Amino acid sequence: MKAIEINNLTVKLNGREALNKISLTLDEGKFLGIVGPNGGGKTTLLRTVLGLIKPASGSILIFGKRPEEVLKSGRVFGYLPQISKISPDFPVRVIDVVMMGRYGRMGMFKWPGEKDRTKALEYLSMMGIEDLRNMPFGELSGGQQQRASIARALAGEPGILILDEPNTGIDVIGQEDFYHLLKGLQRRFNITILMASHDIGAITAYVDEIACLNNTFHYQGSPVGALDETVLTDLYGKNVDLLMHTDVCEKCERLRRT
Amino acid sequence: MFETFSAPFMQKALFVGITVSLLAGLISVFVVLRKMSFIGAGISHAAFGGVAIGFFTGLNPVVTAVFYSVAVALGIEFVSRKGKVSEDASIGIFFSSSMALGVVLISLSGNYTVDLFGYLFGNILAITEGEIMLSVLVAVLVIGIILLFLKEIFITTYNEEIARVSGIPVRAINTLFLVALAVSIVVSMKIIGIILISALLVIPGATAQLFAKNLYFMIATSCGVAVFSTIAGLFLSYEFDIAPGGGIVLTATAIFLIGLFFKRRK
Repeated sequence: MKAIEINNLTVKLNGREALNKISLTLDEGKFLGIVGPNGGGKTTLLRTVLGLIKPASGSILIFGKRPEEVLKSGRVFGYLPQISKISPDFPVRVIDVVMMGRYGRMGMFKWPGEKDRTKALEYLSMMGIEDLRNMPFGELSGGQQQRASIARALAGEPGILILDEPNTGIDVIGQEDFYHLLKGLQRRFNITILMASHDIGAITAYVDEIACLNNTFHYQGSPVGALDETVLTDLYGKNVDLLMHTDVCEKCERLRRT
Repeated sequence: MFETFSAPFMQKALFVGITVSLLAGLISVFVVLRKMSFIGAGISHAAFGGVAIGFFTGLNPVVTAVFYSVAVALGIEFVSRKGKVSEDASIGIFFSSSMALGVVLISLSGNYTVDLFGYLFGNILAITEGEIMLSVLVAVLVIGIILLFLKEIFITTYNEEIARVSGIPVRAINTLFLVALAVSIVVSMKIIGIILISALLVIPGATAQLFAKNLYFMIATSCGVAVFSTIAGLFLSYEFDIAPGGGIVLTATAIFLIGLFFKRRK
């Protein structure tokens, strides 16, 4: 089944065309990376898919339904917005944050039950931070907060996981583990993942498909093709050097093997 | 102290005082977390216009104030959402123009010396049986509604986008909270007074936030501070013949300062 079908989508923000004639189809269970420069429209695309922004023209279908319908149900998406600094004294523990991910499933006038608690703890331990469950969320490090937030996004058992620059605040070594973890989740739950990132080198080894976005798509397809010089020039401008760090080459090797 | 509270009118004042402070304590948590203390101050001062409409038309001022304050709260929200005016400026305009309307209507209606002081600074002697019943009923109703939507109000306070993706009607929840805020202000008016009610919507929540690790703890602490301040304030009011609002707010401020002192030492 198609998880996401976008047809000729144009989105305007304050009169400016933020996205221009975008088309995309993504099968259920696939992992799509969206890369491109800051201000290129990655966040706008994700928010439009979520139904938070109304498109100027074109259509979007999420599992065959319109985004507004999907948004009202509150059950399809797990969403991790770009890191938003929450005030350190906001009275919320890690477990409370993860529990919020269950609200869409619970519906109005219902309180978290035993099943919700079990699920919340399950995802916390999957993210390796079960022992932090009673800590105030604001006292966690950036990386720990990010893990707790991903546990929240997963706790609603979403069909589609949408991640906006999830590696912000996580150090480079942590990033590798993080992408591994996402890959594992994708395989285990057959979850569809849409991830925006500006780090084209790091994600190519993990995603199934890649889309290069700067106002419109400059490339769509297999991750290896995206590392082509003309694609990158189109996307980021003329003065881009593709530096083959040992790190990246290791990934290229892994790509060739698979 | 027990003698003070044995007088029948003091018992009534205490009854209504504790009920409205539970409401103020609960609302205060979200006023602080949502950074809405200025809108709280704005609506409470605008309530003066609503009271004046009551004086002028001969209707019950509490009733006219409820409708007027809710209208102002929704007006502030509408103007800052639709217009090109910031919320800050929108509050400033509504609040000063409502006060001006109040001054004009009260001047025109002529009898402004007696009751007015009670509305501005609180007067437990001036509360009628009917008003006590009305205040308590409305306060209990609003507390019930907030508790019913607590989970939705909380997630919307935490992050509006995450709330929307969870299927929560964020705008409806925000409007509901604004209406609850306006109604809470009016039902507390006769105890604490229009001028000082906004303090009881900020100080208990701010004090609770100093120590709160989770929402329930914060609500309990905030309500505790509000109830204690009201009891102490009413006692001071009776003993020293001062307007209750002053005693209540000064007690709450003292608790906040003590809390701040201990927090800093930690």
